[in-house]
Amino acid sequence: MGQQHLAGPVTVALVEDHQVVVDGVRSWFGPPSPVELVAQGSTIESVRGTAADVLMLDLNLNGTLVIDRVAELCGGGQRVIVFSEHEEPETVRAVLDAGASAFIGKGRATRESCLETILEVAADKPSMTPPMAQAIATDEGPHRPQLSDKERAALLFWFQSMSKASVAARMGIKERTVRQYIDRARVKYAAAGRPAPTKEKLLICAIQDGLIRPDEVTVYTSLAARADNTASP
Amino acid sequence: MAAVTEEIEQVAQRYARYTAIGAVMIALLWHTGYDLTVTITGWNDFRWPAVAAASWILYTVIAVVAARALLRTSSGPPRGRELALPVLALDIAVIVACYPKDLIAPIDWGWGSVGWLGVMLLWNRPHGRGELLAFLTANAGIMLAAMAVTGTLDRVSIAKYLMVEVGSITLQLGYLAGCHTLRVRAEDAVLLARRLAADDAWRESARRIHADRLRRYDAIRDVAESLLKQLADGADPGDPRVRADCTAGAMRLRRLITEREDVPDELVSALRERIDAAERRKVLVTAPPFGENLPDLPEGVREDLLRAPILALDGARSRARVTVSAMSTMMSVAVVADNDDLPISPTPIREPSGVVVTYQRQGGEVWVNSIWQGP
Repeated sequence: MGQQHLAGPVTVALVEDHQVVVDGVRSWFGPPSPVELVAQGSTIESVRGTAADVLMLDLNLNGTLVIDRVAELCGGGQRVIVFSEHEEPETVRAVLDAGASAFIGKGRATRESCLETILEVAADKPSMTPPMAQAIATDEGPHRPQLSDKERAALLFWFQSMSKASVAARMGIKERTVRQYIDRARVKYAAAGRPAPTKEKLLICAIQDGLIRPDEVTVYTSLAARADNTASP
Repeated sequence: MAAVTEEIEQVAQRYARYTAIGAVMIALLWHTGYDLTVTITGWNDFRWPAVAAASWILYTVIAVVAARALLRTSSGPPRGRELALPVLALDIAVIVACYPKDLIAPIDWGWGSVGWLGVMLLWNRPHGRGELLAFLTANAGIMLAAMAVTGTLDRVSIAKYLMVEVGSITLQLGYLAGCHTLRVRAEDAVLLARRLAADDAWRESARRIHADRLRRYDAIRDVAESLLKQLADGADPGDPRVRADCTAGAMRLRRLITEREDVPDELVSALRERIDAAERRKVLVTAPPFGENLPDLPEGVREDLLRAPILALDGARSRARVTVSAMSTMMSVAVVADNDDLPISPTPIREPSGVVVTYQRQGGEVWVNSIWQGP
């Protein structure tokens, strides 16, 4: 999953007010998982100041939706993954526009999908979960990214099908190509409407806008060239 | 909203037509009942009766042209403004046909009557009201000039002049304003009726949703009660069956809490019903909240969109996932389920409504996806 470029395990801070969810997530992150839960609390303030690679944020904290706090968290360069049952496309778009790196829907999250998303986000790779695919594919706002028909179809099928393999079968292409379509849509979306608080995100936007070529950037080349989930050097 | 606009348009057209017919009737009755009578009975009192008769005929011809346009299009003729000039000319001709002493007498029918012809010519036309006002002012001016030329500016004549002018202009402008008000009121009434009907529909929907939610809360409460009782009676929380029941209950509760639309979309309602039915069969159903801005679907599309996914859902053995994606001109419904019996088509099926249904079987699951793309 490409996490090996990081020295140790990926560290995660979790903001979640339901103990049962905290316990569930903690069990996902136990060894030998490449992810470590280093802080947890039921409010944003309770984990502030913790140095974690990724902050996982529940949107509904003690009955209040904290969508408007996402921008402030991301503004400081923190990678934020929203972890919520509020999977409505408008909500997903709102948190992505505010700078969140990914959105995991509680209704469909599995250990594997959750870990994959965390590792991708920690490595500043484009990550696309099904709720994000739905939100981006159905975005009709004036500043929406210009997706190609194939990219939009791949997103839609990824949201509605069982796996990327089934998307590939449906579209009559290789699974690797499906990943490329989905990643490309994610990058376009990032370039179209999202702030880029980290250096890597800024690079992705710059490449997308044609300001620099991918082969001028070592880190990006390694991402774009990955054929499957093998590690970057 | 398109329906409302159409209805208002219809009301406006109906009012324009019948008020136009009203204007034609008044002008023709006036022209035959009064103008013709005084022209015939006062034949010997005219200086030049033939000129008066010719004016009457010219009036009639122009009135027929205007009436034809009004009955056909509910508006005055396209050249209404140009036709107003010969009308003012015939006004002058009738004045000239009379002896100066009869200028204010009933025999000089022109100046009191041409106003109605002006109403007909300029009816329901762009700038019609302004043009009519100018026309009536010109008519009054011509008469006043004639009085000045013939020296009929005594107090009695001026009083008569004012009385006739005020009387006829009030009638003509009053008719125009009355018709306009009537039409605006009718359009308001249509809007109001539509709004009331929409309010009623919304209230009824809200009542139905509330009742439906209560029913589902009741059902969940029953399930929760029975689960708690089982646990109290010593059921093992580690038992996969008990755990599956708890998960199913939690999923239903979560969906109830996150669903939030005020007025149910018919497609979503139909899906919810089948999701409920599947859950009663102990199938674990996941369904992200459906969007709020679902497009209006043409006749028959909803049924075609739902048929195959619902079959897949109804035959699910233990788990299913239901998703709806929508844009302004696209709607996609998909079900992924462990349905072993569903016959699947290797190629996409195109329904006459434009819906395309695709099937795929992979790893013990079937994926059924129906998509409608609008024009």
